[in-house]
Amino acid sequence: MNPVWWKQISAVLRLEVKKSFFSKRGLWIYFLALIPVLIWGGHWMVMRYKAERMHNNAGAGVTKEKLMSVKQGMTVAEVEGILGRPATSRTVTRRNGTEFRYWSYSDGTTTRHITFRDGAVQRLNTEHAGCDLQEDTVIFAGIFQFFYLRLAIFFGCMFVFMNLFRGEILDRSLHYYFLAPIRRDILVVGKYLAGLIATTVIFCVSTIAQWALFVVHLDPINRDAYLQQNNGYQHLLAYTGVTALACLGYGSVFLAAGILIRNPLITAATVLIWESINGILPATLRQISVIYYLKSLCPVEIPMQQGVPAPVALLAVNVDNAPPIVAVLGLLALSAVVVFISTRRIKRMEINYSTDN
Amino acid sequence: MTAAPPPIEKSLIQLNDVSKFYGEVLGVNKINLAIPPGITSLVGPNGSGKTTLMNLITGLLQPTRGTVDVCGMSPEDPETFFRNVGYCTQFDSYPKGFTGYDFVYSFLRLFGWDHAECERRAWHAIDRVNLREAAPRKIAGYSKGMRQRIRLAQSISHDPRVLILDEPLNGLDPLVRAETIALFREFSGEGRHVIISSHVLHEVDIISDQVILMSSGYIVAEGQIKGVRNEIEEHPMQVLIRCDQPQALASRIFQSKNVVEAKVHSDGGGLLVKTRNADEFYLMMNHIAMNGIVVETVAPVDDDVQSLYEYLIDDGGSSNAGGGSK
Repeated sequence: MNPVWWKQISAVLRLEVKKSFFSKRGLWIYFLALIPVLIWGGHWMVMRYKAERMHNNAGAGVTKEKLMSVKQGMTVAEVEGILGRPATSRTVTRRNGTEFRYWSYSDGTTTRHITFRDGAVQRLNTEHAGCDLQEDTVIFAGIFQFFYLRLAIFFGCMFVFMNLFRGEILDRSLHYYFLAPIRRDILVVGKYLAGLIATTVIFCVSTIAQWALFVVHLDPINRDAYLQQNNGYQHLLAYTGVTALACLGYGSVFLAAGILIRNPLITAATVLIWESINGILPATLRQISVIYYLKSLCPVEIPMQQGVPAPVALLAVNVDNAPPIVAVLGLLALSAVVVFISTRRIKRMEINYSTDN
Repeated sequence: MTAAPPPIEKSLIQLNDVSKFYGEVLGVNKINLAIPPGITSLVGPNGSGKTTLMNLITGLLQPTRGTVDVCGMSPEDPETFFRNVGYCTQFDSYPKGFTGYDFVYSFLRLFGWDHAECERRAWHAIDRVNLREAAPRKIAGYSKGMRQRIRLAQSISHDPRVLILDEPLNGLDPLVRAETIALFREFSGEGRHVIISSHVLHEVDIISDQVILMSSGYIVAEGQIKGVRNEIEEHPMQVLIRCDQPQALASRIFQSKNVVEAKVHSDGGGLLVKTRNADEFYLMMNHIAMNGIVVETVAPVDDDVQSLYEYLIDDGGSSNAGGGSK
């Protein structure tokens, strides 16, 4: 490769990276990237609050066995005989004279909420301080696949990559590039890399933060199980890799769309529908999409239970996952082909702002 | 006017049978030009095809038909072409948040030069347009004239052999205008091409070595400025005389051989006169004004560019469309 081309790509990066990162119109991308972080951050804080509350409410002599020995129909005196005075209690008397007592006991990790009606146990609820690792892992995968990949990264990449050319046409500043001694295909590569750097950094940092908060929110036993037996670090690597590949794949698609198509809404809607119906497309067509490869690389399958709404099932279904190496190479090849098409098309592009607006 | 482009060997910028259509709409049609070094002005009213022609020369547009050759280079090889060609467009837009210096410097980096070289060239270009003090400020805060100058600095920063400027004197105050014209002369004095577009004929009259007159996408006249001016002089000039006795004035001025036609203005308060020699006609008017007729004003009504084009198109444009004249 001509050494001047590297210098030119570096000059394009210098111009474009800052713009991609700090565009005022694009600040909402940070918000999109932040939403899952806020979800897991919020979840962590709730879990922490719950654990602290249980710890503070732990009664002397209360054990798990004693907590679980309370049965429906027992009297107030019988319960007091087993567990002593409750950590929290509340009494409500209805107009018809019925008395309800709400008592809570905790051993520090498990809380039992007991409801008495007219002096007898009517209802029992059990709350654990820890979390359900398997369930939370699936929830993480669900947020990642349904929200993060399909919406946050999708629309983030749409904005950044379509703006690389379309934004400059709207701002009437693309001609400065076209009047510089840089080959237009080199310009495309430079701009694509600039968009890729910006989106990869923004979304991968968010992915890592989501994972970190997910790990932090686990109780020590589950955390050890997740990191050491349940391939937690591999999950981190896979999710971060999928995020970077999503930026690469969607980036190439929207880069081409910004060059080929004027209306971003039509483009976004078309690509979104195409990606959404991927699961029901014939095998050959399925491979001409980004999500097909990304879903194949996600480390956790989302089980589809009965009664799941059809649109959600449509998004989750992946009838024939590609092997990881095929998925990575397939996505790289797809992106390369789309970027190549962009480099061919831009050679014929004219500056005619009045009709392009 | 005859369609006879200059010999190829004397010309460096050549357009051969170039046409550009935007769908059904004509941009320019059947343009044959051979532009030698020096200052060449493209003159024409808005919509005459000047910018389209410049965009075709620089590759921002691609011809529907015909070929463009700039000193043996083509925009299809941008690495060579744009090291030798600078184009200051009319688009008054800039990358967001840039200072004047950033703007010139950043696009110089696309040439592959190192920081020191780009910095040196950027300041040199900024100095040439007298914008050093304003250069560290954001372009968004510049006046129209300053924005025009920073665009000019950007287009000359790589020291091009061919400099193309779309309405470069727009928005400049008289002092800066004089300095800018001196800059163009300096460039052309070094044997370079300077191609300027303007819709103000008298503006290019004083700076151009040659002029190309355009109208509705066609070249209607082309050649050295003196020849075009003579053509204009051959065309009867129309003058409106506001006076108290238009009929009496008409009978008096018909005695002059320079008057081709005279008619009372529709409002009855003046006389419209066509003359072939404006200078002699004004002398005669001085004489008449001293002999009883009260003359309020004497003003030419068709010395603007639009009138000239109408004349050229009506009288000879059809034969010159696509060729031009010398």
